Amino acid sequence: MLKVAIVGSGKIADDHASQIQRIKGCEIVGVCDSEPLMARQFCERFPVKQHFSDVHELLSEMRPDVVHVCTPPQSHFGIAKVCLEAGCHVYVEKPFALSENDTRALIDFANDRGLQITAGHDDQFRHAARRMRSLVQRGYLGGSPVHMESYYCYELSDVSYAGAVLGDKRHWVRGLPGRLLHNIISHGIARIAEFLATDSPKVIARGFVSPFLKKMGESEVVDELRVIIHEEEGATAYFTFSSQMRPSLHQFCLYGPRNGIMLDQDQETVIKLPGKRLKSYAEKFVAPVQLAGQYLTNVKANLGAFVRNDFHMKSGMKYLIESFYHSIRDGAPTPIPYSEILLTARIMDEIFAQLGHQQPSQPCHPNLEVVPVH
Amino acid sequence: MTTSEYRWSEAAEVKSPDFIIERDDLILITGANGFIGPRLLKSLVDMGFRNLRCLVRTQGAEFSRHDSIARAREQGARVDVFRGNLLSREDCDAAVRDATVVFHLAAGRGEKSVPEAYRNSVVTTRNLLEAGSRQGCLKRFVNVGSFTVYSNGGKPQGRLLDESCPVEKHPQLRGDAYTFAKAKQDELVAEYSRRFATPCVIVRPGYVIGPGNPGMSGRVGVGTFGMFLHLGGSNAVPFTYVDNCADAIALAGVKRGVDGEIFNIVDDDLPSSREFLRMYKRNVKPFRSIYLPHVLSYALCLIWERYSAWSDGQLPAAFNRRIWHAYGKKTRYSNQKAKARLGWKPKVPMAEALRRHLEACRAATVDN
Repeated sequence: MLKVAIVGSGKIADDHASQIQRIKGCEIVGVCDSEPLMARQFCERFPVKQHFSDVHELLSEMRPDVVHVCTPPQSHFGIAKVCLEAGCHVYVEKPFALSENDTRALIDFANDRGLQITAGHDDQFRHAARRMRSLVQRGYLGGSPVHMESYYCYELSDVSYAGAVLGDKRHWVRGLPGRLLHNIISHGIARIAEFLATDSPKVIARGFVSPFLKKMGESEVVDELRVIIHEEEGATAYFTFSSQMRPSLHQFCLYGPRNGIMLDQDQETVIKLPGKRLKSYAEKFVAPVQLAGQYLTNVKANLGAFVRNDFHMKSGMKYLIESFYHSIRDGAPTPIPYSEILLTARIMDEIFAQLGHQQPSQPCHPNLEVVPVH
Repeated sequence: MTTSEYRWSEAAEVKSPDFIIERDDLILITGANGFIGPRLLKSLVDMGFRNLRCLVRTQGAEFSRHDSIARAREQGARVDVFRGNLLSREDCDAAVRDATVVFHLAAGRGEKSVPEAYRNSVVTTRNLLEAGSRQGCLKRFVNVGSFTVYSNGGKPQGRLLDESCPVEKHPQLRGDAYTFAKAKQDELVAEYSRRFATPCVIVRPGYVIGPGNPGMSGRVGVGTFGMFLHLGGSNAVPFTYVDNCADAIALAGVKRGVDGEIFNIVDDDLPSSREFLRMYKRNVKPFRSIYLPHVLSYALCLIWERYSAWSDGQLPAAFNRRIWHAYGKKTRYSNQKAKARLGWKPKVPMAEALRRHLEACRAATVDN
């Protein structure tokens, strides 16, 4: 039985616990939050043996095999390091760390101790994302990717999150180097990083505060971002983050030399975009019908997963956790290559540097203040 | 007796024997810029209290220009707007300093996530209670809870819901972040009251209506699956008009001899769900609704609950029998305790309250 512990008991920790419960051969032995009440409420809702407010106590008393770090990003590095020092494998929620340097240090630290570590890029393991990856591996693109487009949007009308961030000048999100962007864009950037061939692409970023936020008196939180990423003689990519465009897309398009693929995370659909055109009017009449057929195939796949009871909202997280545990137990490769986690961090660093974000001030209310960090 | 009867008149120097504080004692209102907060401020000023501190999380400057503050100041009250975050113990200490009564209205409303609702309702309440006990001059802590915490099952008097009815023992099974947070918040207040002898009162309003809350109560129905499912039928809806509710909360904070009590706040002459829906369609906007008889809504809740458990939450347990009992079951509501012990009575009659509420709903619909 794999002994699992969770550090941090906020919103995302609920998702972790729900998905871990669905995985056979593991149990949650403890939860830790610097706020004892938060740890207590978590234990009241999930079958967890014990709760703690000090991560060292959690590690020494429960001796978990793997720890899920679900605290605000400022504390990821410190907590993950303590857990690795205690001999635990670590799953770190996104964003993995505050910088590429921290990311590299954690990965090296894990490697030195023969432990596994992964990042919470669970969107890449949802049903549609896996279908897309399978298509790429079967050579559907006809070669290496030529161009990618990644949309990862966020509606700032969401009361629970945006209201807290915008309303509280001391919210921990404001203390991140990339502020709001830092907490959200890694999913969309990681999608691009997965298909880049080199480890140091050029990045051109432009970000601004939307007129909507400006009207609300906000001047610090950049909520519109456009990025161009390009490799020397390799692939190019556009990344878009927007709080204002509608629909609020979570889409990824991948174009190869022969065909393309379009992934829509919200609809959980993968559409093949054939490079070859049909003759004359056939393109106008037959191609849309073929497209409709593809959507129906997606509906069938989604319904099938639902009937098999494998279509939970966080199915990607379950798959990622399961794969990570598999790598721990059986020595399989980690589900996300370390090079990809590093490249994601590097691109984000570059974006935030170009946006001119200053180093963050200390957060006011971190979930967990544990250890000397960095 | 209404708040107006309690008003400090020209003889404002006279100390009311009914009140635990004097007119210049400091009163703190958290969540002062919410739906009820400005009305509570008005009620307190109308009662003659002259020293108030309003704690707001955001937009402190904007709230300072709020009508309710301007009116209170015109009436000679000193009103400070304090901007702070109840998750910060330092902010709580500063906000509570010298306060004799705390009206705790701030809560994690609208949160879908249990941890966030809990953090913004329970952790904040703990911080305030601790700040209150540290500074030592707190005479009463009024926690504004909700009807939602009642399980509405196993009631001693059949269909009648009053303060003696059991609350949800396992609120985590309700599948609703707000219920969980409010139930735990009440538990915490009771615990502090017991352990630290903090003088506390819990006020549980029904569904508060009035300008500023254009939403439709879930007790009437739900607008899901692209249509409006009318669930309430002939059930009475436990409305309380915001001004009436604010009066009751104000009295709960200052009335002598009610420490440790719980008060349900609901107005008189409650409309049935069907009557309210008809009025809403006529006065706000017409739309189609389908009535789901109680037996059918219960069966659907049961099926949904079972499927959710079987599928490990593939469909979250948003509908279940606990929710049906709390919101869908035919129930009568009592406000006798508030009337008898607080001397409260709703000064805006239900017909007028509904008229004002629906008018505001229509204006909000037009604005959108």
